[in-house]
Amino acid sequence: MKRILFSQLILLLFVVVSCKKDYPMDDDGLLITNRSDCYVSSFQLLGSDFQSVTTKAPAVDTTAQTVNVEVLFGTDLKNLYPQFTLVADAVLDPKIIGKVDFSDLSKPKEWTVVSGNRKVRKTYKVILTVKP
Amino acid sequence: MKNIKYNIYVLLLAFVSLITACKDEEFQIPTPSDKLQNDLIKRTLGPSIVGGTIEFAYAAAIIPEKGKLVSMAVEASIAGATGTYLDNKSYTTASNGADVGMAYGDPSVTSGKNTEVVFNKDASALTLRYFYKIPEEARGKTVTFTFSAKASNGETITYKAGPYEIRKMDMALDLVATDATTCYISIADMKVYDATFAAANPDKIDLIYLYRAPTNYLHSLVAPTADAAYLPSFTMPAALKNKTKIVKAFTVRDQQLARTQYAVFVDDIDLSTKDFTDAPDFAINLKAEAGVWVQTANGKYNAYVYVNSVVPATKKMTVSLKRLTIK
Repeated sequence: MKRILFSQLILLLFVVVSCKKDYPMDDDGLLITNRSDCYVSSFQLLGSDFQSVTTKAPAVDTTAQTVNVEVLFGTDLKNLYPQFTLVADAVLDPKIIGKVDFSDLSKPKEWTVVSGNRKVRKTYKVILTVKP
Repeated sequence: MKNIKYNIYVLLLAFVSLITACKDEEFQIPTPSDKLQNDLIKRTLGPSIVGGTIEFAYAAAIIPEKGKLVSMAVEASIAGATGTYLDNKSYTTASNGADVGMAYGDPSVTSGKNTEVVFNKDASALTLRYFYKIPEEARGKTVTFTFSAKASNGETITYKAGPYEIRKMDMALDLVATDATTCYISIADMKVYDATFAAANPDKIDLIYLYRAPTNYLHSLVAPTADAAYLPSFTMPAALKNKTKIVKAFTVRDQQLARTQYAVFVDDIDLSTKDFTDAPDFAINLKAEAGVWVQTANGKYNAYVYVNSVVPATKKMTVSLKRLTIK
């Protein structure tokens, strides 16, 4: 009787372990969730001294998918560190891995926000102006 | 029955272990050594730079029944520069926190690598401070020290310290730049010059200090080649052409340059590995406690220039810098 009960317990354990749900992950090991929200909630731009170079809070337009940033006079536009804050579970493409060259003001830089479920993609333009 | 006996035995063993483990060991006053003893601390922090000082506190003691201290000496592996000395005073701390020194011998005598103080008062225990002025010969090398003490009973004792690496960099403190007058900074000379000197020696001028009232400009360091927008209302002396690379920094409050509480030190490796790719030739609107990493136009020097203070009323900026020769 004891042996039967023990065997049943082992079997039950196997069933529990084998039924454990595997959460899907992306290539970076980040969870792919059910969220379809896809937007930039805030933005910041830092100089080579890791201090903010903006004159005021950047304007994020989630409808037009733009971020308008006014930077200080004398900002070194070739060596800037953009910082995006995104909706929960979303990721940025391409990833920001270092300083970014914003010196060509006629060609705004673009980043794509990818939703938590990785099915919705929205491309944002970061438009810089230098305060005279 | 056998099981009960076994259980009792185990319980007894556990009880004995418990009692033994909880035994409170009484503090034993250590028996002092009756030999001459010594100890050392290095008081100076940060990179050792030529022209700077390394300070030690060397202590020696002997129990009075065995004798008294006769002398203390230090031998450096590389003779110290002028200004190297072993303090002849031993210090106590007054209630207000100030050091109070009492001389136990004549001022130290330095002969080559050796510095010595011979005591003329009875002393069983003393701590003397040793100040090693780093000589030019030590640049890029390591230096070691052998501290020694002698007692009246003939005992001697030594304490070896080091090796300490002497950095290759140079340092200059508190250079005052004034807008429109002495505003030309030379990294090569680590000095500030006026327009006459700048015009005569254009190759030596790497940075220009400017102060302009608009709040978006204020105190700025720019290279002679900077865009005219960054040189407002400024007449550049002819022939100034160095395109100095400048990278702004803000949290690099080097303790040796700033002499504040922050334990940050710019070292040789920071200067040699700093990346100046795509660096601009201007740094606008600098604040006190900020700084700039600089690479001279000819690539000979990398430097870190720290802004000690800025005074808008007098249009002055005080800077201190560390500089490393790269090639």
